[in-house]
Amino acid sequence: MSRISTAELGRYLLTGHLSRRGCLHARLPRISPSAPFHRPTSQRRPFGSDAESLETSTAVPRNAAAAPVAPVTPLRKQLKDQAKALKASGRKKKKNADNQTVPGWELTVGIEIHAQLNTARKLFSPAAASFNDKPNAHVALFDVAMPGSQPLFQPETLIPAVRAALALNCAVQPVSRFDRKHYFHWDQPAGYQITQYYHPFARDGRIVLHARDGIAPEEDGGRVEIGIKQVQMEQDTAKTTAQPGDVHWLDFNRVGLPLIEIITLPQIRHPATAAAFVRKVQMLLSAVDACVSGMEAGGLRADVNVSVRRSEDVATGRLGTRTEIKNLSSFKAVEDAIIAERDRQIAVLEAGGVVEGETRGWSLGSTETRRLRGKEGEVDYRYMPDPDLGPVVIGEDLVGHLAASMGVLPDAEIDELVGRYGLSAKDALSLMMLDDGARIQYFYNVLDALEERLGLGNDAASDQRHALLAANWCLHELGKLTELASDLGMTPNGECHVPSADLAAVLSHLHRREITAKVAKDLLWGVFRGDITAGGVTQTIDAASLWFHELSEREYAELADQVVEGEDKVLGEFLRFKQGNAKAYPQGKLMFLVGKMMRVGTEQRMDPASAERVLRARLERVYLPALEAR
Amino acid sequence: MLARGRPRGLHLRHVCSSRQQRRLLNHFISKEPEPTEQPPTPYRFTLAVKDNIATTSSSTPSPQPTTCASPFLATYHSPFEATIVTQLRARGARLVGKTNLDEFGMGSHSTHSAAGAVSQPPPPPPNPTHTHTHTHAPDSNHAHNHDMEGMLSAGGSSGGSALAVATGEADLALGTDTGGSVRLPAAYCGVVGYKPSYGMVSRFGVVPYANSLDTVGFLAKGVRAIREVVLGKQGLWGEGDGRDPTCLSAAARRRCARGREGYGTPLGGEVLRGLRFGIPLEYNIEELEPGIRDAWAAAAKMLQDEFGARVVPVSLPTTRHALAAYYVIAPAEASSNLAKYDGIRYGARDTEAASDAAGGVLYAASRGKGFGDEVKRRILLGSYTLSSEAMDNYFIKAQRVRRLVRKDFNRVFALDNPLHERETFDLTDLDESIAMEDKWGPEEVDFLLCPTAPTLAPKLADVMKQTSVDAYMNDVFTVPASLAGLPAISIPMPVASTAGDVVRSGTAGLQLIGQYWDDARLLAVADAVSTALKGASTAK
Repeated sequence: MSRISTAELGRYLLTGHLSRRGCLHARLPRISPSAPFHRPTSQRRPFGSDAESLETSTAVPRNAAAAPVAPVTPLRKQLKDQAKALKASGRKKKKNADNQTVPGWELTVGIEIHAQLNTARKLFSPAAASFNDKPNAHVALFDVAMPGSQPLFQPETLIPAVRAALALNCAVQPVSRFDRKHYFHWDQPAGYQITQYYHPFARDGRIVLHARDGIAPEEDGGRVEIGIKQVQMEQDTAKTTAQPGDVHWLDFNRVGLPLIEIITLPQIRHPATAAAFVRKVQMLLSAVDACVSGMEAGGLRADVNVSVRRSEDVATGRLGTRTEIKNLSSFKAVEDAIIAERDRQIAVLEAGGVVEGETRGWSLGSTETRRLRGKEGEVDYRYMPDPDLGPVVIGEDLVGHLAASMGVLPDAEIDELVGRYGLSAKDALSLMMLDDGARIQYFYNVLDALEERLGLGNDAASDQRHALLAANWCLHELGKLTELASDLGMTPNGECHVPSADLAAVLSHLHRREITAKVAKDLLWGVFRGDITAGGVTQTIDAASLWFHELSEREYAELADQVVEGEDKVLGEFLRFKQGNAKAYPQGKLMFLVGKMMRVGTEQRMDPASAERVLRARLERVYLPALEAR
Repeated sequence: MLARGRPRGLHLRHVCSSRQQRRLLNHFISKEPEPTEQPPTPYRFTLAVKDNIATTSSSTPSPQPTTCASPFLATYHSPFEATIVTQLRARGARLVGKTNLDEFGMGSHSTHSAAGAVSQPPPPPPNPTHTHTHTHAPDSNHAHNHDMEGMLSAGGSSGGSALAVATGEADLALGTDTGGSVRLPAAYCGVVGYKPSYGMVSRFGVVPYANSLDTVGFLAKGVRAIREVVLGKQGLWGEGDGRDPTCLSAAARRRCARGREGYGTPLGGEVLRGLRFGIPLEYNIEELEPGIRDAWAAAAKMLQDEFGARVVPVSLPTTRHALAAYYVIAPAEASSNLAKYDGIRYGARDTEAASDAAGGVLYAASRGKGFGDEVKRRILLGSYTLSSEAMDNYFIKAQRVRRLVRKDFNRVFALDNPLHERETFDLTDLDESIAMEDKWGPEEVDFLLCPTAPTLAPKLADVMKQTSVDAYMNDVFTVPASLAGLPAISIPMPVASTAGDVVRSGTAGLQLIGQYWDDARLLAVADAVSTALKGASTAK
């Protein structure tokens, strides 16, 4: 019954997975611009010499962020490196990804998730809910079970609880009740936990998981629905801190804090889907503000029930004996533990053995579950209705009000980000998950400021390329600034060390092609470092004369003429395509020539897209006809 | 106004005249020191508090502990005071001490106490004409010595509180009544014991035994002192307590009082006129002592003859299951409530025992040492009836019985229970012996009239030999009202021996049970009836 401290949980949840699951894991080595911003322009812009990789965003059409990109490292090499990195990381994941099923066997998983509600007070006392406060500072008589003290239900705790239930598509019950669950442990002063065993406050919910949520892709198809049996409210226990010499310190600030327990039906068939489910629950709960600021700060814990049966037994409808794995504290742990337990059970059955119904444990990084206690060691919880507490009656008006005021749920928001702004589903998801939901808020702040600067209305039908640009910068360019997302100093209302207004200023110039991408990135770094004061972006561009004065069409054409000199062999490729002797347009060759143009020309005055456009036109109109004529 | 400190008309006055003799009774666990300040702080009445009700003291340097007569809490000082104690202090109470009880209120004779058993001396020889029929009439000097032989049970679990009132050491005493723990000792000790409607008096600060049944009760020599605090100026009936979720809110109190008499406007002596009393047929059990049965019948006859009351037989068919249901529900809740006493926060931890975790049973050794036998018995009982295999057969069934008991009462009372929707009853469920008043059913009544206990106070020596199930039998008449949460009161009823037989004489308890929140009328009627009973006994 030992528990993992919240601080520990927090580490796993925050650093373990959020950033890896997004596109960020495939990022190339981080750029660390060494140049302070006040250096003379000439020194500061060694475009051709810095082998900096750019353009890691996933969805920018080549012409969208029309600003020049420096393809000094040949683009092909970049792409190759990227692919290699993807493959390398993919292979690691592949181990699990390939391990979703075992031929001849079917896996069944049910999950129980505990999450701490976001409330001001405890569930049954007016003591303040706190986190990492001075130990034992917020403790009421009832919290430590003083003889003669009684529970006082705090109705405000229902607000986040009902929100959570609605986000999980549950039917909120008009009447629910509290029961006592008995077991002895030092972290539980009353000798019982008050929970909702017989009459939970919410039932019959469901969550739809899409491919983008990370479900087992081939096996579950594009979409799978997981039923939720019930959601119940219950008390948290005290926090134990182990001290040297078999001494334990107890902090009763946590005792009695309100939790919800979410219990699924045994409808999950694949380990990845189980992990996706937990991740989705976390996202939903944080989206409706039901759980403590930062579930990653320790508000989440999952127990999984695992059973297997032979494929030929599926028709009988009977499930195999299940075991429960307790206290899984990260998404990866959920997936890994299920795979390990499934394989253990199959091995037992294939050896002619019998799976015991028992409780098992899992340590992070291990490869097998371990037995905690068997059936004979099970505690009979002796559930009993709490005789001090009346029924909880939740009116339809409350449910209606909370449903109406809940805002956009993550799935709808992702759909909007993808459909309206053209983000990839993966980027949309990352944007929403980062900084505990603050990053997306930051994105909206930047977008608003950007649209104001560009004089754009909030018209859904209009061109949304600026929004995609903003999203890419909020996600990727911002992410390159620091090792840890927390170093950005992102606040819940969406501001950070790079004020949204300043990023919008940079992006507005970039969008209008008034500066190059390289300059824009330098500016971002300057703002982050504090070298550029808030609101000083445009002044800095003026002062350092960083404006982008693009070559004229004629100058581009002259450059093009210059670089095709002596490249007849390359031009021949284009001719073969034109004459129908090659299937694909030789884009690679084209980019090779563009790269050559960039090297020969004055790079800071060039936009590769313009160079490409002019080169292509001259190929058609001048070089190829000339070649044919030869 | 309450009269104070003047023992009247009861046998204890004769035997408990000295401090030393009082100590024999062992009815106090701790006593407040006599006030020393000059002039003494004014007070209106003295108050004894059962030691499972939390008290603190700002005036004395060393406040009394709240022990619940349990080794676990031998040194426990509550950091807060029970609401009811604070309320009574505000009404002029001076606390005189904490009274002895059965550990955590579990018992019927106040013998299961870490502080030792409570005992009351046998009654003095009654009036001379009866002396020869009294089988064990002790020599009055004999009663003064330390011989336990003749000592009687004071009843339980509020035995200490009953004796504190009987000896005159307190004008008013607080007890707790879970299944009769105020009424039974009142009956045995010849005082008045009143259990209010569940939810009228705050339980905040009352160490719970079985929360759904626990009720703070009052003991006094006469009904008047109780009426005064419950219904007088600043009557307790109107005061809710936000710290006790089962204590009725001000709004609920007003709603309940709307259909009742006696709240706000005091009831006069004419209250008895035209009342209907029900005699529950199922209470006439085989174990009922003949003398008590006679006194019960005599009381009914007196009400009929002298007050023009109607006395009708009624049927409460679930009565015979009520005791069993009580001894499932109460231990179940007790096993839960007492889980907190684990030797970590309270009591001594048994560090010598092998590691708890090894056997998978935690804290067993500490709990085994810290609780008395009766408490352990009930914890085991409760743990079993709540276990997953026994739950349906015991706990759930007992709750169904409890509902039926309440239905029984609702059917016989003329008033509705304001806590429940009006129910319709099937006449075919009725006992055939019940006469129909009209085609709608039998006559409905205002109050039920029955004995408080089937016997007079038994000898302590006999009690010690009893099995626990025998002891549980004492609660048979008090448990139904507890299960239904109804107000009930026990008033002294003289039991005279009939010539030539072996019936003991003395004082038994006559119990009146009323509909929910009919406490005001119940107390007024009890007041009138006890006056009449007293008059009848002196007239003889």
